[in-house]
Amino acid sequence: MNHLDLSTVGGLTRALAPEILLSAWSLLVLLVVAWRHRTEEDSRLAGWLSLAGVMLTGALVIWMWASGVAASGISNMMEVDGFRFATSILFLVAAGFSIVLSLNYLPRERMLAPEYYVLILLATVGMLFMGGAADLIVLFLGLEVMSVSAYVLAGYDRRSAFSAEAALKYFLIGAFASGFLLYGIALVYGSTGMTNLSLVGVKLSEGALPLMASLGLGLLVIGLAFKVAAVPFHMWAPDVYDGAPTPVTGFMATGVKAAGFAGLTRVLVEAFPTALTQWQPILAIIAIVTMVVGNLVALVQRPLKRMLAYSSVAHAGYLLTALWPGNRLAVSTVLIYLAAYTLTTIASFAILAALGRNGERDVTLDDIAGLATRRPWMAAAFALCMLSLLGFPGTFGFIGKWYILTSVVGQGQNILAVVLVLTSVLSAGYYLPVIMSMYMRPEPEPEWHEGRGMVPLVSAVVALCVIGVLVFGLWPTPLLDLAQSSSQSITQIVLPGAGR
Amino acid sequence: MSDLLRSLHYDAWILHALLILPLVGILPVVLAPARLARHLALWLTVLEFLLSLGLWWAYLPGQGGMQFTTTVDWLPQWGIAYRVGLDGISLFMVLLSTGLMPLCVLGSWHYITTKERGYYALLLALLTGMLGVFLALDLFVFYVFWEVMLIPMYFIIGIWGGQRRLYAAIKFFIYTFVGSLLMLVAILVMVRQVGGATGEYSFAYDHLLANASLLGKSAPWLFAAFALAFAIKVPMFPFHTWLPDAHVEAPTAGSVLLASVLLKMGTYGFLRFAVPFFPQVALGPVVTVIVVTLAIIGIIYGALVAMVQPDVKKLVAYSSVSHLGFVMLGIWASTLQSVQGALMVMIGHGLSTGALFFLIGMLYERRHTRLIADFGGIARVVPLFSAVFTLVALASIGLPGLNGFVGEFLVLVGSFGRHPWATGLATTGVIFAAAYLLWALQRIIFNSLDNPDNKGLKDLSLREALVLLPLLLGIVWLGLYPRPVLERMEPSARSYLEIIEPHLQPTTEASAPRSTEVAP
Repeated sequence: MNHLDLSTVGGLTRALAPEILLSAWSLLVLLVVAWRHRTEEDSRLAGWLSLAGVMLTGALVIWMWASGVAASGISNMMEVDGFRFATSILFLVAAGFSIVLSLNYLPRERMLAPEYYVLILLATVGMLFMGGAADLIVLFLGLEVMSVSAYVLAGYDRRSAFSAEAALKYFLIGAFASGFLLYGIALVYGSTGMTNLSLVGVKLSEGALPLMASLGLGLLVIGLAFKVAAVPFHMWAPDVYDGAPTPVTGFMATGVKAAGFAGLTRVLVEAFPTALTQWQPILAIIAIVTMVVGNLVALVQRPLKRMLAYSSVAHAGYLLTALWPGNRLAVSTVLIYLAAYTLTTIASFAILAALGRNGERDVTLDDIAGLATRRPWMAAAFALCMLSLLGFPGTFGFIGKWYILTSVVGQGQNILAVVLVLTSVLSAGYYLPVIMSMYMRPEPEPEWHEGRGMVPLVSAVVALCVIGVLVFGLWPTPLLDLAQSSSQSITQIVLPGAGR
Repeated sequence: MSDLLRSLHYDAWILHALLILPLVGILPVVLAPARLARHLALWLTVLEFLLSLGLWWAYLPGQGGMQFTTTVDWLPQWGIAYRVGLDGISLFMVLLSTGLMPLCVLGSWHYITTKERGYYALLLALLTGMLGVFLALDLFVFYVFWEVMLIPMYFIIGIWGGQRRLYAAIKFFIYTFVGSLLMLVAILVMVRQVGGATGEYSFAYDHLLANASLLGKSAPWLFAAFALAFAIKVPMFPFHTWLPDAHVEAPTAGSVLLASVLLKMGTYGFLRFAVPFFPQVALGPVVTVIVVTLAIIGIIYGALVAMVQPDVKKLVAYSSVSHLGFVMLGIWASTLQSVQGALMVMIGHGLSTGALFFLIGMLYERRHTRLIADFGGIARVVPLFSAVFTLVALASIGLPGLNGFVGEFLVLVGSFGRHPWATGLATTGVIFAAAYLLWALQRIIFNSLDNPDNKGLKDLSLREALVLLPLLLGIVWLGLYPRPVLERMEPSARSYLEIIEPHLQPTTEASAPRSTEVAP
């Protein structure tokens, strides 16, 4: 073990190295962009530079993780544990893949302002802070950095009214949610006198949960539930996902959602393990409502992008179910499901972006009819993604759902498990028609799919994701070990449910 | 023969080879030129069948337990391993699957004219899935195969099916999916409870079977989840509505495999999992009454509905509902004869219904219609076809000397002691079967040849004869000399009965023999 003393400047710098690197890098890219921002080439340059930054940061995170860096004592502001590194990798993967998708997408849709990539980098920095937050203030700062960048990204297609609507809606609701979160933090601080997550946990274990703290807990959960788009705090999600540029939608559905869950996990597992009996029923109800509503509403969506938006709401429900047990197993379940969901969703949005020619808002089932004959690989990849989202055996999505089911059933909570599988059946009602349309319906007219296709770079991203989905679907053992060891390293000073 | 096999270490690799060969075969089939796909698929499936044929000799008939067992760790964190094995019940299901597959390839020779490579690749994938279901001895592995097998069939119906194929495909998928996901939860709950009581969290079939009595109060729920999954697959009466749609819309080979193998997975599931795991629930008075009633309704309702179908393929589809009712009755009567009878019906129905679907497919290829009213008097034009059709129909009716008789007779004899009323009602199913099949026969093959379109029909080609010949041989052989088959399944049926014996209700007639030798 390589212990860092976080009270010294040197130790803190080393602990924060990935965040510092990526922040500095995004400023560097901003500087480059200040001079070169006119042509397609400039935009591409910024993209490649940002991708390099993401990869470097990823390498740094992996190196830190592999060398077994840990903090000595209780971290003050920033955790140095496996959970942080694991989520960091997830965020960086989501960011890197979104950047690659944008390299081709932005010129095609004539969005040529290269600051786009800087915003993705900054949002990622915010996510990194959320994944590693040891303190409610850090959590909030990370959330804001991420959210503000995401608001701008959602409205990036400034010629599109839908994009503007998305940005405004996202901003208003997001500000509202931040308010909840902040008020929750204030109440928790008022009740315990602390903002450090672990210390709040210790403080709360001393006696019954004070009313002020439980109010704070409720507001924190609501604030984060907005961010992860759980029902009934999801109303923004479909319009925003639908209106934003497709790579941004992919980024929001994976990175932003994962960051929200990372924050929620930290808060519930580190700060409120003693209040387990208070938050479990609330979480269970939100999870059930989210699964049912998300899946039901997704059934009637015509445009694929909207369908995927609601399906991502449904997946938030599965993730809440994963978090429900509130123990270390729950943490590793959340990690595995996030990994499965991220890989699959990125590939789905990549294919969706490639399917649209101009103004792809309206790609519907009819548009992809007979795709399998013209673009067999693309269709196969898309079909596999749909099966993985459905949770079909042989795919990574199944392993994720299976893990959730084992963990929830292990706690004797069979109702959540049954709701999860029944709503999964519902989801077959909208994932399968995609496959049917591609494979079982003829092309509406010859040359229908002319111009749909993936450039090699996007194909590479999709291929990587799909291979990941298949390989981890059959042999998830290494990832499971990794998730388990990450969840072991998370600070949970008080055992769940203790000190009631 | 057994010496030769032993010298090859046949029992060490055969099950893995059977599971892997079709998967490996997908690659050349997909990569080869489209016109070669069917040839490759044919040779692969013939090879698979020849390999599996060795099981007949390598299987030791004296033992009732699992043979050829292997365990390889897969996901050790969760107690999941690749566990496979074979007993006298699964042996015949495996042989039926591998034996039908070359015929299905041959039967699709001219029928499938688009996307051949995909079609034959899916058939191969389906073969692995079916074998996996019958060979799995780990509940996780079983579940994976059970689900994975859905996909090839879904595509086969959806891409190469008839007019309403999309509807049929999604209905088939969702029906099966509902049941199997609830079964998944049940499996997890079971593993957890058994693990909690014994300290060993494992999905191994043996482990769960040995400790299933620890389940206590949750057993009825768990049984319900398993039973729903299997009842949909069988299909039992109120869950059967996917079957006619899927059968009618599927291409010929799809219908054959659906009827001959996929339906048997449901009854196999009852025999292997649902009943032995929860005998106290399954054979308790309430469930027995429900299942036996539904089985009888299935027998009679299926037969009556079959009688009025204008479409001959739909007629055969409904006849399956009827035949599978006999299997369910046999399983729930739980005597040696009735269980062996149920197994014989499973095999016999696989052969005769498979043959019927092939014959209907051949008619359809010639006339592009399946309506009974469009035919009549074709015996004069296609005598060979008509002879085969008649023979197969008689086998399906249960004429003594042909395979259908052995199974249904054993079921009825074995069940009479325990459920005399039900058995009496079930007997009418045999009569109805005679009615609907003979009536259909009369309207298709006999009567007068008044439709001019039928005058130019061609008789069976060599390829078609080759498809039907093995089935006919099986039908006659099982009808005349079923002893070798019964011998091999008897010890397994006995050990199945030993597990459930303590939970059986006393018979209504004291004289009813429960475990006497049977040598028909």
